[in-house]
Amino acid sequence: MAGLSFDNYQRNQYICAKGHAQPKATSTGTTIVGCKFNGGVVIAADTRATAGNIVADKNCEKLHRLAPRIWCAGAGTAADTEMVTQLIALNLELHGMWNDRQPRVITALTMLKQHLFKYQGHLGAYLICAGVDPTGAHLMSVQAHGSTDIGEYQSLGSGSLAAMAVLETKWKPNMTRDEAVLLCAEAIESGIWNDLGSGSNVDVCVMEVGKDAELLRNYLTPNVRAPKERSYKFPRGTTAILRESIREIVDVEETVIEFNKPEAMEVDA
Amino acid sequence: MNTIASQFTQSASSRLQSEYADAQRDFSNAPQLNLAPTIELPPISQPTEFLRAHTDDASNPDCKIKIAHGTTTLAFRFQGGIVVAVDSRATAGNWIASQTVNKVIRINPFLLGTMAGGAADCQYWETWLGTQCRLHELREKERISVAAASKILGNLVYQYKGMGLSMGTMVCGYTKKEGPAIYYVDSDGTRMKGDLFCVGSGQTFAYGVLDSEYKWDLSVEEALYLGKRSILAATHRDAYSGGSINLYHVTENGWIYHGNHNVGDIFYDIKEKEQSFNNVDA
Amino acid sequence: MTTIASEYGNENNSVPIEHRFNPYSDNGGTVLGIAGEDFAILAGDTRIVSGYNIDSRYEPKVFDVGDNIVMTANGFAADGAALIDRFKSAFKWYKFDNNNKKLTIQSAARYIQHLLYGKRFFPFYVSTLIAGLDEEGKGAVYSYDPVGSYEREQCRAGGAAASLIMPFLDNQVNFKNQFEPGSDGRVKKPLRYLSLEEVLALVRDAFTSATERHIQVGDGLEVLIVTKDGIKKVYYPLKRD
Repeated sequence: MAGLSFDNYQRNQYICAKGHAQPKATSTGTTIVGCKFNGGVVIAADTRATAGNIVADKNCEKLHRLAPRIWCAGAGTAADTEMVTQLIALNLELHGMWNDRQPRVITALTMLKQHLFKYQGHLGAYLICAGVDPTGAHLMSVQAHGSTDIGEYQSLGSGSLAAMAVLETKWKPNMTRDEAVLLCAEAIESGIWNDLGSGSNVDVCVMEVGKDAELLRNYLTPNVRAPKERSYKFPRGTTAILRESIREIVDVEETVIEFNKPEAMEVDA
Repeated sequence: MNTIASQFTQSASSRLQSEYADAQRDFSNAPQLNLAPTIELPPISQPTEFLRAHTDDASNPDCKIKIAHGTTTLAFRFQGGIVVAVDSRATAGNWIASQTVNKVIRINPFLLGTMAGGAADCQYWETWLGTQCRLHELREKERISVAAASKILGNLVYQYKGMGLSMGTMVCGYTKKEGPAIYYVDSDGTRMKGDLFCVGSGQTFAYGVLDSEYKWDLSVEEALYLGKRSILAATHRDAYSGGSINLYHVTENGWIYHGNHNVGDIFYDIKEKEQSFNNVDA
Repeated sequence: MTTIASEYGNENNSVPIEHRFNPYSDNGGTVLGIAGEDFAILAGDTRIVSGYNIDSRYEPKVFDVGDNIVMTANGFAADGAALIDRFKSAFKWYKFDNNNKKLTIQSAARYIQHLLYGKRFFPFYVSTLIAGLDEEGKGAVYSYDPVGSYEREQCRAGGAAASLIMPFLDNQVNFKNQFEPGSDGRVKKPLRYLSLEEVLALVRDAFTSATERHIQVGDGLEVLIVTKDGIKKVYYPLKRD
């Protein structure tokens, strides 16, 4: 059967009821934003991925490509944002080929919401979807249950309040590209500093009408790790070798073939 | 002015009076249990349920407060006195909180108490037991018997029965009239005299070795080795036991400490010497 | 029989609402104590957290509690503050009642056991550390579980990132799993006292590393250093993300 398998759902509920903890999915407790400007749209994200209170990845990528000029930023369960995005990207490509047209942002959004609604929120994907197509620049968002939103500026994820605070105070209509990029980066930075689920660097993606999308990976890196005070290099032999076994994975056989060897001289005739 | 002065003098004298009354009450009451401190309870109808919900790792693995647990301890009587051997690991959930815990509490030069279950419960009440034993000495001009000492502890934990104390302890000692004696006391209120006990999460492993090798006529050296070897077996198979082994020998002259033996160090020595643990690579 | 589904249907067999009594929360943060030959340190980050929010970037949690003893109680901040307040007040009374007698670290340690065990059935949700000098002038660190079981140690990490820092300390302070090169694992690296400079470097590396991988650790690191000449306080900034 196609789609997700829920075969083990009941079993897992039972195991949980017995007091065993469920494995934690890596959740990108995240800050993502998007903002329109004159002639395009920009989205941005932080780069921290967490599993509970532990930072699982300090520099992950939360900006996903749906089509060459349609990108989306993902918050929620890392695996879900990744897989949903890839699936829709694939279908968008096929859709584009079948119709012999550039894919539209609204198409991507519709496909996403229909897919997410079908799974009733079990796919924990929260996405800000943006891009340029023949109808212009667009900025939209979709929640795990399938509801969508359209607006001039958006923010999502655990740091969305921190980011929205910046967007609400500094956003203005008809911004230039550079103003929009700066605003988004600042909004993300606000999430990085003030939300524990967000951190590390700022990724930005700019999509301008009539131009290729431009991904500015690590546009800001305000959290470079300071060098360590000490060297933790151990002298060789600090960890004892207790046993050694070497396995011959490949059998080496030696066969000597000699060429042009003169015939042994006949001595006794 | 006078009113202010009288206010202060009055409050001062009344405070003095109440202090005096407190002291008098302390001296006149039964000396034993009122030395037990007051322990605060949460202001709710079911304090024990509350405690379980927040601290019992077994019934609620997500509980926030992890109390140190997990142990192997043993003590046995033999021809030459008593041998006491314990491991030194403390665990809180799956976290090894410490590998250097002292699980033998030296109640006085003739009495030892072992520690299994809640680390704080054992540490606290066995030191408390030490003070009670000292008070007994001062009052009676005679050292307390092992039976009496263990009964003080047994009565104390029985008062708290059902409240969530967790202890499994052996009170080991020597007196003239009793000879070497071991009493097992646990937080359920059990108190029994015996020749040989193993207590804690690794007790079964320790019993396995101890029961098969134990004889009354063991020499002191053999007995100490057997104690050590039994704990070693337990640390090997029980994940909640480990660290190092503390060894004691109790004689008519009091207890003698026979050192701290790191499990990681002695394991391979013993394996080689005994030709045992053959399922483990050298 | 037919029933009409209505919002009121639930009220017929409703039971009184049960509110769980939950007086605890977790304010994050991490602390660390190391004892040297003639000094001891207690370090803690200065971030206070609730959920995904930072409540404060500078709220010291390691305190000079008098007589060359430093103390911290990490976990639930309110319990930690209450515990330290109780200790400080008892310390004052001790001085007042005993003609200003010096409180030794052993006595302080035992008293804290009583403070913690006094709430055995309604525990303080904290991991407690104290540091100072013993009667021989050697560095001492005492660590506690939430209900008062305690032990003197060379080093101990407590709080949110304890599980990240403690293995590092085992290896770098007590040289666990380190052997003399060429001995085939038969000779352990011999133990030695670390100098204050070495200890401070280890503490800073422990905290910058914990900041990298634990979201509740960061903002600032405050270290209290105890020597025979008194207590010195040093502050190092940490990453704020």
